[in-house]
Amino acid sequence: MTARERLGAAFVYLTLGAAIMLALFPFWWMIDTSLKRPVDIFSGVALWPQQITFGNYYRLFNEFHFGSFLLNSIVIVTASVAISLVIGTLAAYALARFRMQFGVRRMALILVLLVRMLPGILLCVPLYIALANWGLLNTRLGLILIYAGLNTSFVVWMMQSFLEEIPRDIEEAAMVDGDSRLTALWRVVVPLAAPGLIATAIFTVIATYNDFIIALTMTSTPDAQTIPVGVSTLIGKIEIQWGPMAAAGVVGALPIVIFALIVQRHFVRGLTFGAVK
Amino acid sequence: MEERESRAQRLRAAAVPYLLLLPALLALAGISLYPTIDGVIASLHRYRYGRDVGFTGVDNFAAVYNDAVFWQAIATTVLFVLLAVAIETLLGLLLALLVARELRFAGLIRVTLILPMTIAPVVVGIIWRLLYASDIGVVNPVFEFFGFEAPNVLAHPLTAFLGLVAVDVWEWTPLLFLIILAGLHSLPQDPIEAARVDGATSIQTFFHHTLPLLRPVLLVAVVLRTIDAVGTFDQIFVLTKGGPGTATQLISIYAYNTAFLFNQYGRAMAMLIALLACLLFLMAAAVHLMRRGSEIVE
Repeated sequence: MTARERLGAAFVYLTLGAAIMLALFPFWWMIDTSLKRPVDIFSGVALWPQQITFGNYYRLFNEFHFGSFLLNSIVIVTASVAISLVIGTLAAYALARFRMQFGVRRMALILVLLVRMLPGILLCVPLYIALANWGLLNTRLGLILIYAGLNTSFVVWMMQSFLEEIPRDIEEAAMVDGDSRLTALWRVVVPLAAPGLIATAIFTVIATYNDFIIALTMTSTPDAQTIPVGVSTLIGKIEIQWGPMAAAGVVGALPIVIFALIVQRHFVRGLTFGAVK
Repeated sequence: MEERESRAQRLRAAAVPYLLLLPALLALAGISLYPTIDGVIASLHRYRYGRDVGFTGVDNFAAVYNDAVFWQAIATTVLFVLLAVAIETLLGLLLALLVARELRFAGLIRVTLILPMTIAPVVVGIIWRLLYASDIGVVNPVFEFFGFEAPNVLAHPLTAFLGLVAVDVWEWTPLLFLIILAGLHSLPQDPIEAARVDGATSIQTFFHHTLPLLRPVLLVAVVLRTIDAVGTFDQIFVLTKGGPGTATQLISIYAYNTAFLFNQYGRAMAMLIALLACLLFLMAAAVHLMRRGSEIVE
């Protein structure tokens, strides 16, 4: 290595090191604060808790309904992701395998992209009025239906590109052997598409778990409120509860961060909505 | 008889793809077209205390048009989006170029850098509230350490606005980084190598070869991010709720307050339809770019 190359390498690693510090430190400050006692939170910048306590987490579940929020999130995410995976994969299969007439394919894809891009605030007002008419405000069912619809756009888009990569011969062979279209799809195509299906499921889970504005407007009590809404309820208080607020942030982020670390290889495609392969 | 049966069979076979598509199309239409139509109807009605009190024609649109706060919110949104997306694109490009070389721990570096964009925007808001807080935060002490005055970021209009841009940059630079990095990996290496052999400096190679080749990817990334940035809501709701005053009141916050604080659904919808009209142009561009990019053209 010449001196110049060495200088270049030093610059690269220093810049990346700084970027990583900037990306991670805010997380650490939240975790750090969540593990401190109230007096320690106010005693200046301490990068390590003076005395580690789980009191903030205890209060979260005992005083601030986080058990309910967590349960609601789990039920709503599971149901809406399951529904959207089924109807989305069927549609993606149709788009990937058949020629369609009357511009149906074009219309379907434009609808898919449109739903992905509509800002949440735009959907909130009309959906609020609709749910109010059907008596579904502040219910888990109302949120499940909305998220199932929103997620379907993601599933169709992602699964379509995954299914196109699977050769047709395999399912045609299965159909010659007597399978119907649907059984061939289920027995042959779905197992082959499993990696794509898993990646898609992961992203719909993350997007649904993280959504805020729709859950905020459609719910009003811990009967149906999800984790992000629960987190925001801690801010409305007259006196901000820093400790529980930090702990709430950790509870809100933790499942997703663990997910991210486990499935990082599949991440690029989902996070970028298939903008790149 | 036989002929008719086979015709029925053919018809049934031809219907299969449409039947497979139907549930998803219904769900998608239910979540987009139906609310849009409902929203248009609501925008033509007048609401009092959250109750529909009848048709008013285009009064809501006229009221929005004459509302100085609305135009201020639009201006704030445009400024916020331009500033944030420009910084994110530059930083994302820089980071991607650094990571695209052969590096040790490239995978680990990548996953670390993208963590901010994976967590809920509400949690992002919480994190930065903890950092910006004047009594328990980190930003004030850091400024004081370097001999500056403590900025109390969220207390003043200008710093609050810039503070929110900084939050957006922290959260979304990773998206630009990720897309650009994937784009760099898929570039043909030959022209770049050839330029290097011909003795071009790395800066020349970048501007004459890498950047033009990267343009399509960059364009998709910027358009997608811009559309998303226009709808920014969660972090601002958690951090400032649009304040102090109206310094950080983006159009999403103003529309939310109009609808759910003042229960003026019609007025809010008129605002949002105006916003949608502006966004449709960007969305059409995005649809065009993504359809071309994903080899699904009929």
